[in-house]
Amino acid sequence: MKQRRLLSRLFNFAVFIALEIAALQMLTHNAALQRVWVARSAHLFMGKVWGASQGVRSYFSLSETNRELSRENFLLMQELELARESLRDAKTESQDSLSRPGFSMVAAEVVKISRNKQHNYLILNRGYKDGVQEKSGIITPKGVVGIVDAVSENHAYAFSFQNSDISISARLGSEGGSGLLVWDGVRSNGAILKEIPLQYRYQKGDTVYTSGHSLLFPPDIPLGVAGESKVVNGATNEIAITLFQDFSAIRYVSIVHNNSFDEIEQFER
Amino acid sequence: MRKKTFWIAYIFLLLVQLIISNYFRFTPYIMLSILPVMVLCISTRLDTLWTMLIAFATGMTVDLLSEGLLGLNALALVPVAFFRNPIIQLIFGKEIFARKEDFTLRSSGFAQVGLALLLAQALFLVLYIWADGAGMRPFSFNLYRFLASLGAGFLLSLLTLNVLVTDSRE
Repeated sequence: MKQRRLLSRLFNFAVFIALEIAALQMLTHNAALQRVWVARSAHLFMGKVWGASQGVRSYFSLSETNRELSRENFLLMQELELARESLRDAKTESQDSLSRPGFSMVAAEVVKISRNKQHNYLILNRGYKDGVQEKSGIITPKGVVGIVDAVSENHAYAFSFQNSDISISARLGSEGGSGLLVWDGVRSNGAILKEIPLQYRYQKGDTVYTSGHSLLFPPDIPLGVAGESKVVNGATNEIAITLFQDFSAIRYVSIVHNNSFDEIEQFER
Repeated sequence: MRKKTFWIAYIFLLLVQLIISNYFRFTPYIMLSILPVMVLCISTRLDTLWTMLIAFATGMTVDLLSEGLLGLNALALVPVAFFRNPIIQLIFGKEIFARKEDFTLRSSGFAQVGLALLLAQALFLVLYIWADGAGMRPFSFNLYRFLASLGAGFLLSLLTLNVLVTDSRE
């Protein structure tokens, strides 16, 4: 009974549409204005339908596009690192020094990230199976993200830079003084560069880079820009830094490991 | 007997509409039509399919025999027939279908009947004015035309109603 009623409704609807189309057809055949109007409406409708379907298709392919971009980004970073390394080699060779060891890189995706604690962490989708090792740095083209602390077969657990226990060695400007960069504990893109000797001059807006003094990160990765400063204990400057990296938008990262990490660390023991 | 009277009245009103369409065009702001009330008053015992076909034929007759655009009245009137049952159900309730009765001013009251007339008239006018303007006329003109035609058409429909629907107690 219900099915019959439904069928009858569908049939009525079909007849309704057919009658409306017939009326519209007659209208467009007999009036030029209405013909133009119907044609324009039909074009607009088709344009909207095609536009919407294209939008939906693009939306669902965004994930794949992101992955491809991240892969491309990773390859570019690798190339950049190689270029930097050869530049450093050329410099050091000219200075009759020993060449610096390189860094190996692994592309990874952030599986989980905490941002609202004082000791934040990240979990990445790469583990020792992929060549990830403890005490590796995590970077993006916009700066430093964290340090790998523990590695399982398929995942890596890392301390986020937004962690009050983490500090990284950073340099102010291309030739400026080095200090320790720590999270300011408040803003998602705020940091403080500590222990900059007073004799080093700098200006607001100067870029802060990784210094290369730490074994974890390659040098010259841009981290952020300098802001206000204050003198601490009359001996050093403390400078507020606005980081380039927005921690709320991290998805793809690169894990970098210093190939000579163990060798150098043995000297320190 | 009553059925026959209704259809005679229906044809008579169709002739009246033809006269209105051909001779009563005082201003472009007012479009007088009693077609929606005629379709609304078709017996609820007649199903939607037949009502739509009658509405289409009625609209086409007016289009063919008056100085208008062929298909315009049919285009606007068929939706009134299609939505006739939902309008009646919304305003008079489902019981009217169960009792197989038709609404009258006396049985249902002025407010309910008036509301049904307004809805049917508004639906017809929206489509008529929209298709007639073909997107070329300014919105303000269409709005004034709609409001003026709705008011005039409503009054005319109330008069028409007495011709089409007679209470069984009368």
